[in-house]
Parts: sequence; structure tokens; C-alpha cells
Amino acid sequence: MMNTPQKVPVSILTGFLGSGKTTLLNRILSEEHGKRIAVIENEYGEVGIDQALVINADEEIFEMSNGCICCTVRGDLIRVLGNLMKRRDKFDYVLVETTGLADPGPVAQTFFMDDEIRAEFSLDGIVTLVDAAHIEQQLGRSDESTEQIAFADVLVLNKTDLVNDEAIDRLEARLREMNRMARVVRSEKANVPVDTVLNLGAFDLDQVLERRPTFLEPEYPFEWTGVYALDSGRYELSLAEGPDPAMSLVVVSDQSPDDAALRESAEWCVRRYAEPAEPIQPGETIPVGKHVNLQLDSPGRKSFFLEVEAPVQVGLYAQHTAEEFDLQLMNAEGAAIGPEAERTWVAQHEHDDEVGSIAIERDGDVDPDRLNAWLGTLLRERGVDIFRMKGFISLAGESRRFVFQGVHMLFDGQPELQWGDRPRRNQLVFIGRNLDEDSMRQGFEACLM
Amino acid sequence: MSDVRTAVGPKGILRQGWSASVGDYAIAGGWVLRGKALVVGDSAGGVCAFDGTSGASTWAQPETHDGGLLAMAIHPGGAAFATAGQDGRVLIRDVAEGRVTQAIDVGDGWVEHMAWSPDGRWLAASCSRRVHAYGADGREAWRSGDHPSTVSAIAWSGAGELATACYGRVTFFDASTGERRQKLEWKGSLVSMALSPDGDVVACGSQDNSVHFWRRSTEEDSMMSGYTGKPSALTFDHTGTLLATGGGEDVTVWSFQGDGPEGTRPGVLELHVEPVTTLAFARRGMRLASAARDNAVVVWSLQKDGTGGPIGAAILGDMGTKLCWRPDGHALAALDARGGVTVWRTG
Repeated sequence: MMNTPQKVPVSILTGFLGSGKTTLLNRILSEEHGKRIAVIENEYGEVGIDQALVINADEEIFEMSNGCICCTVRGDLIRVLGNLMKRRDKFDYVLVETTGLADPGPVAQTFFMDDEIRAEFSLDGIVTLVDAAHIEQQLGRSDESTEQIAFADVLVLNKTDLVNDEAIDRLEARLREMNRMARVVRSEKANVPVDTVLNLGAFDLDQVLERRPTFLEPEYPFEWTGVYALDSGRYELSLAEGPDPAMSLVVVSDQSPDDAALRESAEWCVRRYAEPAEPIQPGETIPVGKHVNLQLDSPGRKSFFLEVEAPVQVGLYAQHTAEEFDLQLMNAEGAAIGPEAERTWVAQHEHDDEVGSIAIERDGDVDPDRLNAWLGTLLRERGVDIFRMKGFISLAGESRRFVFQGVHMLFDGQPELQWGDRPRRNQLVFIGRNLDEDSMRQGFEACLM
Repeated sequence: MSDVRTAVGPKGILRQGWSASVGDYAIAGGWVLRGKALVVGDSAGGVCAFDGTSGASTWAQPETHDGGLLAMAIHPGGAAFATAGQDGRVLIRDVAEGRVTQAIDVGDGWVEHMAWSPDGRWLAASCSRRVHAYGADGREAWRSGDHPSTVSAIAWSGAGELATACYGRVTFFDASTGERRQKLEWKGSLVSMALSPDGDVVACGSQDNSVHFWRRSTEEDSMMSGYTGKPSALTFDHTGTLLATGGGEDVTVWSFQGDGPEGTRPGVLELHVEPVTTLAFARRGMRLASAARDNAVVVWSLQKDGTGGPIGAAILGDMGTKLCWRPDGHALAALDARGGVTVWRTG
């Protein structure tokens, strides 16, 4: 008798004025998808109304007396959705088009905070349209555009025909850096397939991972590794002028060239890189196993030296790629030695934007009490700066995968699929402002059994 | 199967009466002609009337508001009523046939709330951020300026004064001139409002799961928190002693006798297993009916201190959306989300 009706999915369309929201909306509504769609519009536009019910409502932001930004909700959505659910059988889908300057926080929070809305609707996804020609200026000027990017499940890079390829690539890289959770789609006149913006199942992290398996690939403080087989003797490491006045390096002894060994050393080097670097002047000898900083600010090529006592394979873990400084290794006779193996790493980007993503991936089970305590403290102290989070967790003693998502301090999670034979692991993604990645990683690691 | 039927039939003071249905989610309704008939509006815009004793349909008007019906108000005289909807219109109708006697274009937005003044002279209707007052002839007497947000509730405080609630504010207007008489402010989204019969106490349910109330004579205000959901259902009994509130699975009853409810413990009525959706006090006696998302309807007998216990219960085919006691208190009508109309006789 107490059946749980299917929740009606809701997509939010955000983006600055001129980014193409109305074009996209019209496109969705004119397509033959056989769905009855209700549209809530905060911006008055020309919308085809043949197949959809369009409701105009002014944006109403309701803050609460407790002053908590996470309790801020959108009164217009509560009112309109509250009424739409009384004719639930008539609608398969709801689209909300926000104003260009809308803060997506209260929109998303409405689906967590209001018990009646939460009972009937599910936030399917936030789609943010970006005007490729103007977004960089907007990002510099307004918090709203930054937050619209940070909150997105899908970023539609629109009007790409107005910008050259190189600029688009650069823009995409910047946006990905801010929000690694989102799928990025390019379009000219908002001509994206409808299924990229509807029925996203946006909170299914598996889908995100399937789309971009490298999404959680760790970042390293170095970009390049070369493995060299060396006999005993003195070697010269020669570098030309490059983009920076200095370069960090760690030399690893007994480095085997296979990928597993490289990864293992890379982890070890991450810890070395975290230690203060010893500056090395041209002409000096580079110590093995230490974080050094080669001083390259003098003009012309510079030489540093390596002393090898017995035949060995060494790995050079360099901050930049060999090409950037034309890095060469030469023996005592001045003959260049080629590397046995080379590998590049996903470099840590310099975070120009305050807004960024943190991904944590760890195998093993998590202690529920410790997780609760850690997340509770994190959300209480940093919830204002955490825009969105989602992921899954392997809770000790739970046979199912615990899936969660959240907005600011609001957190919602439940056990979902059985783990079965799959390896038990944890993946968490946070998007926020000025997040301290190291302390968050350590905090989570302390929750592992 | 007869024992199954017994198991789900009404219990206690609720006795089998009649049932009927309307075309969609039954959103509003009320007794007319001193309890001789019940009118019901559905969310698709249909309006139906049923014979109060037999439940036979006396008339039906389908889809009278484009986009759907949102509100209904029964004229205190019982011979007329008004409906309002997403089409921005108010329709005043006669009870005998449902015929529209006055059609009023209120505005471009939804007309969500409507109420007749107790003396039947004025009909107030809210549309977006404004409230309008009309005479019984449908002519507009006055309209307010823009409220800070969409008006979320309206209520008459006696015959001479109208109250509105919205985000952060309760405002009182003079019934005949629309002049603003009093403004009570509090930073929060007020989602519901009830006035005590003497008009002194204003209680509002708030989005942040609390009930806020003011005593108008002293302008003192208090907040009752601890609710698990937003109290969208709240109602005073006819003596003004008890304020019953939803906001979660329990019905919380505050008593205004003595110095209460400040510093007192409310009566907590526990039986529903899902959040309460609507509440109604019978005109006489301390009887309260409650409906919830669990499809149950419960009738409670209350003491003056707000405590009490169940004296009747029944299960509907869906979530109860509105409860209407017949003016004589001897029948209770329940409307539900599936369009069901159920009337029980009460002992």
C-alpha cells in the first residue's frame, strides 16, 4: 500500500546571459523525445510551448534566521514544484532555467533541504552553458559564473565557432581544473544531443569514471622521468635555458624501468618533493635520493654532475620534461647517453583559480565512526567553501557500496549496490574554494581500517 | 474477505459514510448549505458538488481553470463559493449549480490563496507578491503593493482586518481601505499562518522547521523549534486555547492557557508514521483530525493542556490533502491525492 513512487528528475540550466540557455531549452523541447516536460523559467524568453508546460516564476531566495548559507533555498522552486507534484502523472521531467546571475547553491540545496520536494523530485543534474568567447572575462569578474562552473555536472562549451581551437583547449583545461567532476561538451549553437543534458543520472559516479577513466589519476609534482643505465664514473647533466630559472629534481638509485617500479618510485619521490629542496649551483654534484633545485638563472647551457660508484640504473624525476630544458646526460667522454625508459606524469597544475577539485581514491574499508567524525568536522568547518561532493565509500561491515552526494554542508547518502566480487574501494570528489588537499587526504586516510 | 474489509475500515468514532472521487488530486473543498452538500476542487481544475448525506453527485464542472485549480473559499453564508487557479482568475460561483456569477482577472501569476472575510463582505485573493480585496459583486476594493516575496498565506483577523504572510514578514491590512496597520518581521520563510480567534496571536510555520508566533498586543514574539519537517499545517481550535501544528510525523499541540505556550511542553500526538499533511479542529469540543503522507486519518480528543489521544482512525487510498468537519461536527470529509472524497459520520 505504501508504494514509493518514482521521483521526477529535474535538470537545472545555468549560464550567463547570452550563453545559449534559451537556445538549448528550445532545442530540447522541439526534439521528439516523447516526454512531457515542465519548464520553470526565471528568465523570460522565447520558449516553444507546444510540448511543454512553461511556468514563469521570479527567483526568490529564502535565507533563514540562523544565517547558515546551506539553509538558503529557492522559494519559487518549492512553490512551483510543490504544485507540479500534485499532477505528477502528467510530467516525466522538469527543467529549470535560472537567470544568468543565479547562484546555483540555493537551487541545489532546495532538493536536499525541503522534505516535500525531496520526497517527490530528484536533482538529475546541473547543466552550465559557457559562452566560450566571453567566459574568461566573466570568470575574472563574478563569483556567480565561477560557482556555476563549480556546481555543474555538464559543462556545455558553447559558441566554439567564435574562438580558435587553441583558446578552446586552454579554456577547457581551465574549466576542468575547476571542476573535474563535470563532463565537458563542445557546441556551436547549443547543438548538443539531448541525452547529454537530460537523464544524466548525474550522481552516478560510475558513469563519470567510465567517461573519463583518468579522472582520478593522481597528480605529481614532477612531469617527467628518464631511466638511465650507467657504469661507474662521473656524468654530466646538461641543461639549456628554459622557461623557469630553476628546476626541481630527485635522482633515484636502482630504478628498474618497468611501469610498476616507476609508479612505486614516483610515490616515494612525492614525499621527497614535499621536503625542502637543496639548491644546486652549476658545476656542483647532485646528491642521490634528495630533493634538489637546479639553479638555472645564469645564461647559456649549465652542467651539473652525477657520481656513480658501481653500475646502476638511475631514475631522474624532473619537475619539467627533458625537452623543455633540452636535458642531456653525457659520460666522461662527452658522449650523450639515451634513456632506457621515459615516462611523463600528470603534473600538478598551478591553481590560478581559487575554485578547484580534489579527488581521493583509496582501496580498503573505512571505519564508519571515524568517517562520520571526519566528514562532520570537515563540513562544519569548510562546508561554506565546498560547493559539491560525491563519491562512494566502502564501509566496514556493509555489504553494499555506500553512495553519497552533497552540497555545502548538506550530505545525503545510502547503501546501494552489493560489492559482490568487485574490489572494495573508495572514491570521493570535492569541488570547492581554496580546499586544502593534503589535509583532506590525510583526514580521509585516517578513516581507513 | 469480509474480515479484511473490517480491518481497513474506519475505527473508533469514525463510521462508514460515503465515498466518491474527482478527476485528479483533490486539492480544496468545503461544506456548503449548512452541511447539506460538499464541494471539491481538483488540481486539473474540475469542481464537483456532492449531496452531503448520500454522496450523490449533484453537479460537476470540468477544467474550469486553465492550468489547474489552486484554491477554494466558501462564503460564510454557505450559498456561494469561489475558486482560483493558475490562470490568474477568481471565479465566484453559486452552490446550487456551480454556475459562475463573477469572473475576476486578478493578475498574470497564479492565484494561490483566497479567503472570505467572516462577515462575507470581502473576498481576498493573493497573486504573486500582491493581495487583492474584492466586494461580493466582484469589484476590486483595493490591492496591496508588492510584498518582499510571493504571498504564502492569507487569513482574516475578525471582519475588519486581513493578514498576509510571506518571506520574512506578516502584514495586517485594513479590510475596507487596504491601509497597512501592522508589520511583524522575522527573517525566515513563512510557509503557513494561523490566527487565534481573538486575532491577537499570529502563528506561522517556517521553512527552517520551526513555528514562529507573535502576540500583536505586545509585539512579543517566540519561536518553537524542534520540528523534523516544515510545519505547513497549523490551526487554532475555535476557543483559541490550542494551536495544533504538523511539521514531521507527530502532531504538536501548544496550549495558550495560563502563561503558555512559552516555557511549557506541548502535547505530542504520536501515531502517524509519515509527515502530517493537514489538520482540522471540529467547530465544537476539543476534537482534532489529522492526515499524513502515510494515508491515515486520525481523530484525536484533546485536553486544554494540549495532551490527548486517538479516538478514531481510518485509511485513505492515498495521502490526505484536506480535512473538513461538517459545521455541526457530526461528519468529517477527507480529500486525498488520488482524487478520493471520503465522508465519515462521527459519534
